[in-house]
Amino acid sequence: MKKSLMLLLASLLLVLAACGNSTKQSSNAGEKESQKKNEKSEVNLYTSRHYDVDNELYKKFEDETGIKVNVIKGEADELIERVKREGTATKADLFLTADVGRLYRAKEQGLLQAVSSDILSKQVPEKFRDSDDMWVGLTKRARILVYNKDKVKPEELSTYEALTDDKWKGRVLVRSSESVYNQSLLASFIGIDGEEKAKEWAQGIVNNMARSPEGGDRDQAKAIAAGIGDVAIMNTYYLGQMLNSQEPEEVKVAEQLGIFFPNQDTTGTHVNISGAGVVKGSKNADNALKLLEFLTGEEAQFTFAEANYEYPVNQDVEPAELLKSWGEFKEQDIPLTVLGENNAKAIMIFNEVGWK
Amino acid sequence: MNRRIANVNGWTIGAVLIITLLFVPNLSIVTGIFTPASENWGHIREFMLLNYIKSSLTLVFFTAIFTVAIGLSLAWLIAQYDFPLRNFMKWSLILPLSIPPFIGAYTYHGILNYTGIIQKTLRNHFDVSVNQAYFDIMNVPGAIFIYTIFLYPYVYMITRIFLSNQAASLVESARTLGKGPMEIFLKVIVPISRISVIGGVSLVILEVLNDYGVVKYFGIQTFSTAIFQTWFGLGDLDSSIKLAACLMGLVIFILVFEWVLRGGKKYSFSTTKLRPLPLVKLTGKKAALATAYTLVIFTIAFLIPVLQLLDWVILTFGKVPMEEVLTYTKNSIIVAGTAALLIIFFSLVIGNFSRITKHKFAKVLPKLTVLGYSIPGAVIAVAVVTTFIAIDRYLAPVYQFLGVDSELVLSVSLVMLISAYIIRFFAIGYNSIESGYTKIGTDFRDASRMLGVSSLRTFFKIDIPMMKGAIISGFILTFVDILKEIPLTLILRPFNYDTLATKAFQYASDEKIMEASQASLLIVGVSAIAIFVFNKLLGEGRE
Repeated sequence: MKKSLMLLLASLLLVLAACGNSTKQSSNAGEKESQKKNEKSEVNLYTSRHYDVDNELYKKFEDETGIKVNVIKGEADELIERVKREGTATKADLFLTADVGRLYRAKEQGLLQAVSSDILSKQVPEKFRDSDDMWVGLTKRARILVYNKDKVKPEELSTYEALTDDKWKGRVLVRSSESVYNQSLLASFIGIDGEEKAKEWAQGIVNNMARSPEGGDRDQAKAIAAGIGDVAIMNTYYLGQMLNSQEPEEVKVAEQLGIFFPNQDTTGTHVNISGAGVVKGSKNADNALKLLEFLTGEEAQFTFAEANYEYPVNQDVEPAELLKSWGEFKEQDIPLTVLGENNAKAIMIFNEVGWK
Repeated sequence: MNRRIANVNGWTIGAVLIITLLFVPNLSIVTGIFTPASENWGHIREFMLLNYIKSSLTLVFFTAIFTVAIGLSLAWLIAQYDFPLRNFMKWSLILPLSIPPFIGAYTYHGILNYTGIIQKTLRNHFDVSVNQAYFDIMNVPGAIFIYTIFLYPYVYMITRIFLSNQAASLVESARTLGKGPMEIFLKVIVPISRISVIGGVSLVILEVLNDYGVVKYFGIQTFSTAIFQTWFGLGDLDSSIKLAACLMGLVIFILVFEWVLRGGKKYSFSTTKLRPLPLVKLTGKKAALATAYTLVIFTIAFLIPVLQLLDWVILTFGKVPMEEVLTYTKNSIIVAGTAALLIIFFSLVIGNFSRITKHKFAKVLPKLTVLGYSIPGAVIAVAVVTTFIAIDRYLAPVYQFLGVDSELVLSVSLVMLISAYIIRFFAIGYNSIESGYTKIGTDFRDASRMLGVSSLRTFFKIDIPMMKGAIISGFILTFVDILKEIPLTLILRPFNYDTLATKAFQYASDEKIMEASQASLLIVGVSAIAIFVFNKLLGEGRE
């Protein structure tokens, strides 16, 4: 009987070993090979941005520099947790995400290191770089208002704050507070006007909502076309996507909408960034810096703008035609770090006022 | 006597070893209950928990009722009757399982919303504007609908296999006694299939409890929302693990409840003849009704969403990069296949241990392994990463000895991902295997052992062949489930490793459902082929 038991255990171990071995060897082989070729021939990316255009740019970077870009894509907070747990042993070189709040979080947890270069300083305005050089911005998005042209005159719109007026009761559309875009919007208000005012604003929007929040940004635009509400808060990026959708009906919806950049005479329109920082334990920090310089360079910035309807951070690069047609606008003038600092407070306010 | 003890110990060691391995990563979550509350806890309790738990329970309750109603009725129809399209429906009714619920949610919303096919057609061709409220699926009833149509196959599949193998003699006796079909259903089918229905529906409940994709998109606040809002929003992972631990507590309660419900009820084979239930041929109106009913379910839960996906694939053709599709597909099949095989293997060992060991502890211990299924994948991912980095640190001298110039080896390989799958999806495979063991009981095994055949030989010669159905169905369920898994795959994969699910998610999470359709449809395709092939295997095995 012992024999049969041993046999079973042996086979179990064999399976485990086989499974473990094969992958171990392959990854070993991969590493050794790359080490032999050139010590500095790769850069490892943890990114929460998962757009096809990013992959194209990585490929271009590989072709130009011979540095291989390896990627793990995931949700920002999960990636932060993974880097944190890997500690100094981490394989990650660059952390890339679509919200400055997450960059702030990575910095606060001591996961990033300072990098700077003349090229970076030249390509990215100071406003879009961390004060300690822990991260740099890559692209921007504005959170704007869109409205039903038949029912709303642009003169009626002015600021985010004005949407809390009684005249907008039952007419405002916005997605749930789980969206990081809403969180950073409210976080910016906390930074500008203080917690109390920000809470009043959130409460005012909840009172005026056309329906309980549901769906994504695109769904808010569609709800205007469907007559559920008259004005919606959404990102420029999604509007660009809709106007260029493969589904003709989506294009039609987007074309019906009026576009309004709020707070032009006051505090400016809310802007959030995609950005990246070099990971503290990075083994290829030089390559990571090179990639940052490449991504903020003219060619890459142009591609971001054209293919993804994001505003470039590099001021030598013009936005895409579509974005340009919406005109220039005044941005919120606050350090972007504020968005990260106030993120948790924003969530609590959302919960307290019942913004689903 | 000694021989007996020795061999019981053999299975015990194997089982305890596997259970420990599966359970260790969960430990860090369990201990979360005892971490002191952070300053956020008061806020979480006051503003999040009560309402969120309420909507979670609503979702769970109604989804459970509807999946049982649909799953059991379908299983009964298919197992007992012959009607047009029955043979096709028999396996096709499992297919909705291949559609990830969050993709299903996006798809149905895509069909119903303002720019969707229905409203678009009405508006542009008939100049009809509809009341938007009737077309709004993004609410609690909508979520219940989505969960029901994409999860009922758990109940259907497990119950159908049970009924067609098991119920023959009882139903025949009832028929001989002149009982009508309704009476047979209520007095025979319902009571004897209770175990498999409960087994199936508990998978449904666990799936609903930890789902995040559907509720996030629909804007419904549930318990898993609270977990993620606490982690991502408040940046308070400790509190979020504490919440996950509470969820685990709830799941343990459900499991114990299920165990109590099962009580001492056992229906194992009383004869050596494993014969299927002879089918009653339906004719006329009854046949039409049966066909119509199965067809309606199949259309809503599978055909409509798949056609919509197909439409989008055509619409976006050429816009979505195609070149690496084969690699993604291959990756998906390999990881899902490997993990599913290992799960079945481990389940067989643990199940056998639980069956032949008379001690109570042997019945309860295996339950621990299904905990992984109860927690949102992202939380398990944290636990798994922590465990593997610890293992890597521990093995550092070995790596050095082998000349590997890296501190992280296992935690950047597929081993981590596959282990995570096993921890997470063990419940699915084990559930099938366990019900298989329950069904065959221990009589045949005892007889074989009495005749002096070794334990292992008996296992292979007697148990495995009798368990074929359970093994195959367990494999399909796990394989299909892993194929569509998201959070673990996303965060635990090695560099540059994409699967169909990660590709589909990449687009869908960015509100690009049309671009996501290609990968989604491939997930459905691969799953459908797997279900079809294994159904063939299963069918031949029985004849």
